This record gives sequence, structure tokens and C-alpha cells, in this order.
Amino acid sequence: MSVSNVWQVLRKDLRLGPRSPILLWALVLPIVLTVLIRGVFGGLFESEPRLGIVDLGDSDVTAAALELDGIAVTVYADGDIETLQQDVENNNLDAGLILQPDFDEAVRSGAEPELQLFIGGESLASDRLVIEVASIDLIRGMSGDTPPVTVEVIVLGEAGLDLSLRMLPLVVMYAVAIAGAFVPAMSLVGEKESGTVNAVLVTPTTVHEFMAAKVLFGVVLATLTGVMALLFNSAFGNEPVAVILSILIGALMMAEIGVMLGAWARDANTMFTIFKGGAILIFYPVLFYIWPNLPTWIAQLSPSYYFLQPIFELSVGDRSFADVWVDLAIGLTICVALAPFVYMMGTWLQRRLGTGMVSPAEAKEPGSHKEPAGV
Amino acid sequence: MAGGSRIGAIVRKDFTAFTRDRFYFFMTILGLVFYVGIYWFLPDTVDETIEVGVHAAGFEALLGGATQREGHGIEVIAFDSADEVEAAVSGEGETTVAIGLSFPDDFVAAVSAGRVTTVTVYVTGNLPPELRATMTGLVREIAFAAAGSDLPVTLLAQEEVILGEDRVGDQVSLQDNMGPLLIFFILMVETFALAGLVASEIQSRTVTAVLITPVRMSEFLTAKSIFGTLMAFSQAVLLALLIGMLGTSPIALLITLLLGALLVTGLGLVAGSSGKDFIGILFWSMLFMIPLMVPAIAALFPGTAAAWVTILPSYGLVEAIVRTTAYGDTLIEILPFLAMLAAWCVVTFAAGLFTLRRKVATL
Repeated sequence: MSVSNVWQVLRKDLRLGPRSPILLWALVLPIVLTVLIRGVFGGLFESEPRLGIVDLGDSDVTAAALELDGIAVTVYADGDIETLQQDVENNNLDAGLILQPDFDEAVRSGAEPELQLFIGGESLASDRLVIEVASIDLIRGMSGDTPPVTVEVIVLGEAGLDLSLRMLPLVVMYAVAIAGAFVPAMSLVGEKESGTVNAVLVTPTTVHEFMAAKVLFGVVLATLTGVMALLFNSAFGNEPVAVILSILIGALMMAEIGVMLGAWARDANTMFTIFKGGAILIFYPVLFYIWPNLPTWIAQLSPSYYFLQPIFELSVGDRSFADVWVDLAIGLTICVALAPFVYMMGTWLQRRLGTGMVSPAEAKEPGSHKEPAGV
Repeated sequence: MAGGSRIGAIVRKDFTAFTRDRFYFFMTILGLVFYVGIYWFLPDTVDETIEVGVHAAGFEALLGGATQREGHGIEVIAFDSADEVEAAVSGEGETTVAIGLSFPDDFVAAVSAGRVTTVTVYVTGNLPPELRATMTGLVREIAFAAAGSDLPVTLLAQEEVILGEDRVGDQVSLQDNMGPLLIFFILMVETFALAGLVASEIQSRTVTAVLITPVRMSEFLTAKSIFGTLMAFSQAVLLALLIGMLGTSPIALLITLLLGALLVTGLGLVAGSSGKDFIGILFWSMLFMIPLMVPAIAALFPGTAAAWVTILPSYGLVEAIVRTTAYGDTLIEILPFLAMLAAWCVVTFAAGLFTLRRKVATL
């Protein structure tokens, strides 16, 4: 295998790659996913009870409510009771509290004013309890009643990870799989469709060198996007070298899988369909980080676990290389084990190219210019 | 009549091509199986209760009785000692709970006598902060009650307090929420499938060959529209059947799905006519799919969608599916959403037919 030939093909891909919109997609996707997870889906899985307040008399309860931890409090500055009640009824709020002008004085004087706390019909019973207890507690605090009890809180065990961190493997997986597997696979399919692979193989470059270049192309891209995803999430841990090594192993694994699929798929549509349907097999371990109570052995059946787990442990769990080397070694073994299969797929592709079973699309759309080979 | 048979022939040809391609046929079935699998994997109930382990030296029953009524959001598990509560919270006991309360043995006597006593609240490290605060507040309120102190406010009657239909014990589960979205997703994916079909006909110039025959352009366009709509509609209906959603309000849902299929067919025609190769189709499809996904994602969140979301073409479709399947709305109740959807169908279909006609004319 000539390193020079591999480099020539890789250089061509690296030069032409940035022209492809799919590469842009691979680079932008981790950023979009991070924004979505932090801004949108985080709130879906771990939503806080939502309380709206209309304060008609500058009550101390309102100021104290805004300090509540874990309850999303909205104060209706315009004092619009109707809007508050509508929002409660439409499930835009779990509850709405209306504080009349003389509420504080009435509580302090022992007049026991009405607690106008309206609950949304669709709110969860647990959220209702949280808001009701919090409201009573705030009013007690404002009234000056001294509780006849001291409460001692004992925290047992470590604090769990925030959901946005538990979803980090999903972002990393997308970054590595799209750039590492999908991009080189589509590149290879594109070369077959446009016929440039035949042109390349007329030169001294062999099909195996051609495929090795595609694997390297995937490794370079996936490492870049994987590192970018972790940087964007500020999750590089204490051992960045070990993190990069884990990403490299993941990138290599994905690139090998991608190139094998690219060699096998007859056209881009088939390739996309395989990815759409089969990606679940490499993506499903991410679910086990989102829901950590699921049995881990199922995740361990997927090859992607053996780079995702080290990345997660190193970047989020503050573990060291010594804690993750076994998983990384298994990941590397999988990469090594895949290499002969990549070679075999290369031989298979060469045979098909030689027998004319792979031929470029015969008709090109009139008026369309020739697409550059590569991605 | 002859036109009808020509249209029928093209539709049959497309359908035969689809079923003959065993790979695509298999992947379509596999996709459906995945969607059905995901649906049945999701939880079909909503856990609305906070489970609390309590050692309360004689008044557990009282505490349990007061809190375990439906809608109180708390379930009490009694323990014989403080050590057992601590073990349960730390995950070392036979039963595991996230919160534990340990009242001293003389709690009621001490509080009644005006002596300040200490109650221990055990919590796990990952307990949300609002639950921690709720437990301390709850303990203080129990102590006030035991000391004979009234609430500082007067509570309104339950029926005055609840706004809207009270769904405690009957919440819309994640499974119920995701069902409509899976149906929506399968429709959206058909945008891409039809775009691919149209583009391949353009690229391979089959369309030119077909138009040399007595088939007219309008018949060709009609055939493509019928095939796309049938494919999207049949898959969506099949999925709805497999996840048991067709039984809730079948006529309303079928009309919604038919309009939804027309909408995605219109978009598929635009994407298929615009993209010059696979990547082009992918990007045109994604360009449509990303904004169209917004109402679907918004539907997962409680409350009403933002005003700008309501003007998106898929809003009427998503709302009609969600209201029919998750809330049991009737055809009359979802009519406004169907009207919006129908209007968008006209727009997207007109755009789709216009771009495809123009594209074919340039070949």
C-alpha cells in the first residue's frame, strides 16, 4: 500500500470536501444539537413546576417567591388576573397566585385571608403539592410565625448529573457518526455514481488505497467534530489527551463502518436508507446515559459503547485514563477486527468495478454542471 | 376515461417499482416496526406521586391517610426506625425511596407542649431542589398542625381552585404524546421518499419518455400526486392502527391523515423538482422538515404554542392529530385546524405542481 497514493486521494477529499453541503451539515449538527438539548429538550425531561403571580399590593410573598429554587415563577406586572387564569387553564402555568392589595396585613393581623391559588387541571399532582406547600411556607415566613420544629436535611449519596450532561453522549455520537461514517460513505457512493472511482483506479492507486484514504478522511473529520462538540459543551475533563484518544478510536470505528457501507451501497438513496434504518444499532447506547437506571449490559452489546463510555467518564465523570483503559482497549480491538472486513469490502468492490457491475449514473440532468468528485 | 386509465397505469408502475425493490420495501417495513416498537417502549402512565419513607412513631397511619388520597401527589411508606429510613434513602435497604422523614418518638407530645423538636429529612443527592424545599415545608406544616396552629390563610374549595378539566390520575402519558408525533414523523419522512422518486424520474429522464406517449403532463403530475399521497396516507394509517390510535376518533383522524399526506406530497414535489442530485434533495427536504418539526416538538411541551408556530404549515396537522388522539376531540372540534391544514395543502400542492411542471418543461 502506497502512503503517497493514499495521501493524494485524501488530499483531494480534504480540498473538495468543504464544497459539499453535507460536510457543512456534519460540522453544524453538533452545535445545533447542543443548543436544542440545552434550550429545548432539557426543559422537556426535567421541567420545573410553573407558578404565575398577580400581585396587587406589593406583597413580600412575591419577592420571596422569586427566590424559590426549582420553581419557575412569573410575575404578571400588569396585574391582569384574567390572563393569569387563562394561562393556568391552558396549561401554560401549573398554578396562579393572586395576592390582593391588603394580603400581607391581613395575614399578619391573623385575619386568615383567602388564598387565591388557582391550579391548572392538567398540572401533575406532585407539582400541585410542591406549589401549595411552597406558597403556604412563604406566607408562614411572611406572617412571622415561628415553626415549632427544626428541620435537619441530610443529603445521602452524590448529586446526579444534569440532564444536559447526560445527553452529551448523544451530541458526541452524532458528531462522530455523521462525520466519521456518513460523510465518507456518501463520498464513496458519490465517487461510484459519478464514475470518478473508475478514473482513479486507472492510475496506480489501488482500491484499497482509495478506501484507506476514505477511512482517514472520516477519522480526520470525526475527530474534528467530536472535539468541537466537547469544546462547545465545555466537557473536556481533566485528561484531554485521553479524551482525544477516545474520540480517535470512535472516529476510526465509525469511519471503518461508513466505508464498508459506502462500498456496499449501490447509490446515495440506498446509503441514506441504510443509515436511516440501521443507525439505531450504533446509536442506542446514548439512551443508557439519558436514563441511567436502564441495564448497562444492553448498551455494552453495541460497539459504540466502547468509545462513548470512556468519553463520558473522562469528560463528565472526572475519571482518569486508568479507569477507562479497558473499555478503550475493547474499542481499539473492535477497530482492528473491522480492518480485515474493510479490506474484504475493498476486494469485493474492486471485483464489481472490474466486472462492470458498478457503473456511473448514465444520464445526467441536462444543464447541470459536473459535480466535483468526492463528498 | 382514457386519462384515468393512463394515470392508473403510472400509479401502478410506481407501486410495482416500489414493491419490486426489495431493499426499500424491507426498509419501509422495518421503519414501521421501529416506530411501533418505540411507541410501545414508552411509558403509558404518568407518575404524579412523590414517594416518601416515614418513621413517625405511631402517627404514620394518620400521615398516610391524610396524604394518600387521590390527587395529593404523595405516597407514604412507613418504616419502623430512623435507621431503616436512612438505609432506604441511601439505597441500602430492602425498599428504596428518594426522600425519608424521621420524626422523633416524642414529636406530637413535644410540639403540643410547645417544645421545639428536630425532624430529620433524608434526601438523595440528585433530588430536585423544589422537592427538598417541599419536604421541609411539609414537615413545618405538620408541626404547626400538631401544635394546633391554624393555617394563616383560608383555603378555597377544591372545585373553585381547579381551572380546566382536572386530569389528576388521567394525565396524557409520554406514550400518548409521542403517538401523534410518530404518525407525523412518518408523514414527514414520505416528503423525502417522494422527493427521491420524483428526482430519479427527472434524472433518468423517465418523465421525458413517458411524455412522448399519449400521457399528458397534467396526467403525469396527477399520477405522481396520487402515488405520493397514497404512500404517505397508507403508512400513517397503518401506524395509527398498529399503535391503537385509530380507534379513538377514526373519521376525524383519517381526514386529518389524508390532508397531512397531501401536504407532504406537495412538499415532496417541490423538493424533488428542486434538488439536482441526492444531496440536493436531502437539503431541500431538510429545509422543509426542520421548520415543520417545530409544531411537533412544541406539542410535547405543556401549554399553548407561540403565535409564530401557529402559522407554520404543519401546525394544523399536529394539533388535529394530538387533539383527536390524546384528548378525544371530535371532527367538529378540530375543524379550525383542518381548515388551516387544507389551506396549506392548496398552497404546497400548487407550489409542488408548479415547480415540477416547470422542471419537466425544461428537460
